[in-house]
Amino acid sequence: MKKLITVAVNDFRLVFRDNSLKIFIVLPLLILVFTRYAVPFIAGVYPVVQDYIAVILMLATMQGSTAFGFIYSMVLVDEKDTQVAKVYGILPVSKFWFTAFRLIPPFLLATLATFFLLLVEPFYGLPMISNLVYSALAGLVAPLMILSTAIIAKNKIEAMTWQKLFNIPLFLPVLSLFAPVPLSLVFAISPTFWAYQGLESLIEGKSFWFYMLIGFAHSVVLLTLLIKKLSKVHFK
Amino acid sequence: MIIVKNLSYTYPKAKESTLKNLNFEIERGEIFGFLGPSGAGKSTTQKVLYKILHDFSGEISIQNKSLKDWGNDYYEKIGVGFELPNHYLKLTARENLQLFASFYQEKNLLDFNELFETFGLEADANKRVEEFSKGMKMRLNFIRAIMHSPEILFFDEPTAGLDPVNAQKIKRYITKLKTEGKTIFVTTHDMTTADELCDRVSFIAGGEIRLTEKPSVLKNAHGKNTVKAELENGLAAEFPVKDLGNNPNFLEFIKQGEILRINTQEASLEEVFIKITGTKLLG
Repeated sequence: MKKLITVAVNDFRLVFRDNSLKIFIVLPLLILVFTRYAVPFIAGVYPVVQDYIAVILMLATMQGSTAFGFIYSMVLVDEKDTQVAKVYGILPVSKFWFTAFRLIPPFLLATLATFFLLLVEPFYGLPMISNLVYSALAGLVAPLMILSTAIIAKNKIEAMTWQKLFNIPLFLPVLSLFAPVPLSLVFAISPTFWAYQGLESLIEGKSFWFYMLIGFAHSVVLLTLLIKKLSKVHFK
Repeated sequence: MIIVKNLSYTYPKAKESTLKNLNFEIERGEIFGFLGPSGAGKSTTQKVLYKILHDFSGEISIQNKSLKDWGNDYYEKIGVGFELPNHYLKLTARENLQLFASFYQEKNLLDFNELFETFGLEADANKRVEEFSKGMKMRLNFIRAIMHSPEILFFDEPTAGLDPVNAQKIKRYITKLKTEGKTIFVTTHDMTTADELCDRVSFIAGGEIRLTEKPSVLKNAHGKNTVKAELENGLAAEFPVKDLGNNPNFLEFIKQGEILRINTQEASLEEVFIKITGTKLLG
């Protein structure tokens, strides 16, 4: 546990000492302020926006995950680029579990960012427990982004390009809300599909547990596969 | 301590094997060198031995246990000095060491301040590594490799990027580690380093070991058994080493002027390497 805390503290240091990364920490806060104050104002001025508030909220809930996913993936990509990752490869620690535990801080930060956003949103007043469960599912998107980017990208420039591409499968499933059932299931391959479907059910006062259950199972399987892949390629 | 039998390795998607049927042994308390040009397979051999590359064929035994049977505890026993500096640039030298030291058993860790002092980094320990020169980063690489008192050490070009004074410091420390009974595997294309450090060297070229021997034996076997005498007036001549003191030609020669130098004509390790492998070490 001590070593994992040391690594977590080290990762924070790396983020805070990199000017290009630390500004992204405020992004979730800006999204929270936007959702809390700007969206109600805009919806008041332009009533047509009111029909899309659920969609805006869904997309807003993913911003914390993509922000922390971006920040931490840059840390991992940079350590691969500078060959520091090789040093982890010769440490007396399981590469799988080391990677898994290292993803906990960004997951928690993303979960908290989403939780507070849903806590202060002025539209639906979602139950606390449901909010927390949904936030955790949305929070899992951060480690998924980190792993995908760190596996594929060789340097920070490549990483930024890939992050933009990853936004497509993360945000596109929101269209499933406007598509009939067989067609909407095309988006089920993305972990955010289950989150968006779940949040819509929650907003409509229906049970959202089915979507949460599938969503968590889906994300955990993806995470396991990606951690295994990263463990094989990152430390060489 | 380390026994390698019939080691072969082919990188995924490569057509040809990088390592071809390597056989060597390294004793406890021995400095063993792999001498060869870039791309010969030196670093690949080390990567196999420190379990970064897995799908090799052949047998490797470390401390009487198959390499494949060693778990993560293997990494407590080994230290690796990488060829290129690899540190978190935004962290200080001390923070870098503390981070990686947290993975090792505390009882085995050496005193950081003493290590910084030994390698001339005491004034820079709390500076960010991004402010370091390449030589300073290489010394930090070395400290990281030895900080947990490993029994087996792998050094890849340990003096690369170092000035002569610091290169000497590193070589002296490696020799000290040998006297402590550590098993040391050095790969290099620097024949001077190999000559000064290694008890035995293997010449590797094209993924094959061409020869394994003590440097002194190689130099004697492949050199000329003569001395070359040079006088200040520019005259120079070679004489057989055998019975040199009674050689009338030699005695007559040195009367012809002030002696500038008299050198034995043993071969350099590089000359031996070229002779054996037909390959140059550099370039």
